[in-house]
Amino acid sequence: MKWIPNFNSSNSLRVIFVIAVFILLFLSSIAYKHNQDLNESSKLVMHTYEINIQLERLMSAIKDAETGQRGYIITRNGRFLAPYLYSRDKVNASFITLKKLTADNPIQQQNLENLFKLIIQRFVSFENCLKYSDPKTYDKRKLDNHMFGGRILMENIRFQVDKMNDIEKKYLENRQKIYDQEISLSPLFSVSLFLTALTFILLAYRQISRDFERLKVFNKRLLISSGLMAESEIIGKFSTWQWDLDANKIDYSDNQYRILGVAPNSFVPEKETFLDFVHPDDKEAVAVSMQGIIEKKNLPFIYYKIIRRDHEIRHFKSTGKLLTDQQGSKILLGINFDITDEHLLNIELQERNRELEKSNKELASFNHVASHDLQEPLRKIQTFISRVSDADKAVMSESAREYLSKIESSAKRMRVLIDDLLLFSRTNTTKKEFIKSNLNELLENAESDLTEIIHEKKAVITASKLPKLDVIPYQIEQLFINLIGNSLKYSQPDRIPEIIIESEKVLSASYPDLLEQSIKKYHKITFSDNGMGFDPQFKETIFVLFQRLHSKTDYPGTGIGLAICKKIVENHKGYILADSVPGKGSLFTVFLPD
Amino acid sequence: MQKNALYILLADDDEDDRLFFKDAFEEIKIQTNVDFVHDGMQLMDHLNNLDNKLPDILFLDLNMPKKTGKECLIEIKKTERLKNIIIAIYSTSSSEEDIEDTFIQGANIYIKKPSDFNTLKKIINEVVTVNWHYHTSGLNRDNFLLRLK
Repeated sequence: MKWIPNFNSSNSLRVIFVIAVFILLFLSSIAYKHNQDLNESSKLVMHTYEINIQLERLMSAIKDAETGQRGYIITRNGRFLAPYLYSRDKVNASFITLKKLTADNPIQQQNLENLFKLIIQRFVSFENCLKYSDPKTYDKRKLDNHMFGGRILMENIRFQVDKMNDIEKKYLENRQKIYDQEISLSPLFSVSLFLTALTFILLAYRQISRDFERLKVFNKRLLISSGLMAESEIIGKFSTWQWDLDANKIDYSDNQYRILGVAPNSFVPEKETFLDFVHPDDKEAVAVSMQGIIEKKNLPFIYYKIIRRDHEIRHFKSTGKLLTDQQGSKILLGINFDITDEHLLNIELQERNRELEKSNKELASFNHVASHDLQEPLRKIQTFISRVSDADKAVMSESAREYLSKIESSAKRMRVLIDDLLLFSRTNTTKKEFIKSNLNELLENAESDLTEIIHEKKAVITASKLPKLDVIPYQIEQLFINLIGNSLKYSQPDRIPEIIIESEKVLSASYPDLLEQSIKKYHKITFSDNGMGFDPQFKETIFVLFQRLHSKTDYPGTGIGLAICKKIVENHKGYILADSVPGKGSLFTVFLPD
Repeated sequence: MQKNALYILLADDDEDDRLFFKDAFEEIKIQTNVDFVHDGMQLMDHLNNLDNKLPDILFLDLNMPKKTGKECLIEIKKTERLKNIIIAIYSTSSSEEDIEDTFIQGANIYIKKPSDFNTLKKIINEVVTVNWHYHTSGLNRDNFLLRLK
């Protein structure tokens, strides 16, 4: 089925979509990773910062202890010793925190270990300073030594702390550098990937909207054609149905319901529903044909009757076909025609035909009556008149002789009429055997039939070469006799009759109004004479039965001769025309198909 | 009945025709014996009666009651004893069909009943004097129907 659009693009669309989805997945995984890295880096900063702070706290705790000790040594006031006493705890707390913070870094652990040793030494130095500054155990030299040693230890501690801070800082810087490198690579990459994905999606969108447009166009066409189909089903009085054999689902077109005499979709069609409508006489035949479609895949036309629910009988003609679709499922398609009107018309035609045949038979029997029964009394009248001898006539009165002669001429005329009428009706009813004949030979026969009158009138007949055609020989001979006889009959008394017969081949296209165009070539045979002619206004009517242009006293005749000519020419699927210039002559033209 | 005279039999139901026929034979100067039968049945009875002499020429009308001329013709041609009788069809009809049928059934000549007594005499003269042996051997569809010159 040609009109089903081919949406090839759907495959490429799928590819485009898959690519776009993968790009987007890739982009989001990169973004996720960046996020993770960022998180990591901020944790790292926090970590460094915390270590830094803890180290500073450590330092400040030692400094507090140092300041407190100095205050005590100078003032000997116990209150100055409080920070010193707390500082020990603070140092420990900081130390534990630091230990935890640097757990992942062995170098820093080592440094922390060293720092702790220094701090312990510093506290020992504090203890010693306190001890040697006490008035009870005062020793200026030792105090100086320890004080001085403490200062050096302090510097070492500071150094150690700075070292640890530096390490952290450097570590942070390194990490930051790597992170920056990673980050600096991706934006361009991401953006280009994003743009690619965007392009793909835009492409897909364009394709979709294009397909959508086409779909809209095809939808419209489909709508129109299904509308047309429904309409033509109604007008054409036919319907369609489909039966999906696999799904066992039957669909009727709307008109199927209508031609069954019910409203569309007024019942759900099933296998047996249709048979319910079929006339009991035809039920079996229809059921067999339905089965036949499945076996033979095709159903020749079947003719049957159905009964509508209102008991109206309709005549149906149906055909069907088995289709197998691409998925391999089998579908029966069927068409039902409601041919009731044609059927009735057919019956009427048959009736008319019978009547025609009857009337033809009657005509034939009329022929018989005319040819035999009517002629018999007439023949006897004539024969009896001929039996009245001249001797008998001599004793008759003048008027009796005249009456007898009038009876004789009337009987003669009646004979001519009956003979001509018979000839006319036989022209039509006798069997028409077409034989390839030389028209020149037939013309000769006709001339020999007319020898007497030709001699009498000293007529000159000139004929050119005539064709050989499939004709009914005796009819064409009759045609020639009638036409030539007509010319001789209506010749001018003071002129020798001349009849010229010519023939040529013509194309029917040259006479579009006259000739049957399905036959390409005709033979045009003309009979022209120099007779008295006739008024051209009668050129049609002279071919009509019993039409006469002259009184029968001037020219005896029955008005049948030219009607016979027309009939003969029509029997040969030809045409005859007449034309004339009064006083100059007449022209009869016969067209016979090649 | 004169000896050596031609024996003519006419089968015709029409009394007037029989009269014309009889008169015509009387007026021509040929020695003939003319007999008449009135219908087909009578004709066949006459022919089949072994006591009766067979006619030299049988004039046979087609349109007769009881048994038509055509039926008689077929019967005669089927009967061994009768099939050589010269048969002249003598009918009012000159329809192609009748001429064709009787020719095929083996009649020797077809005469259309004339409407003039003198013509009838000429026809009878022609038929009676024809050399039938010669005529029959050269018989064809064209000279079957008698046409007077």
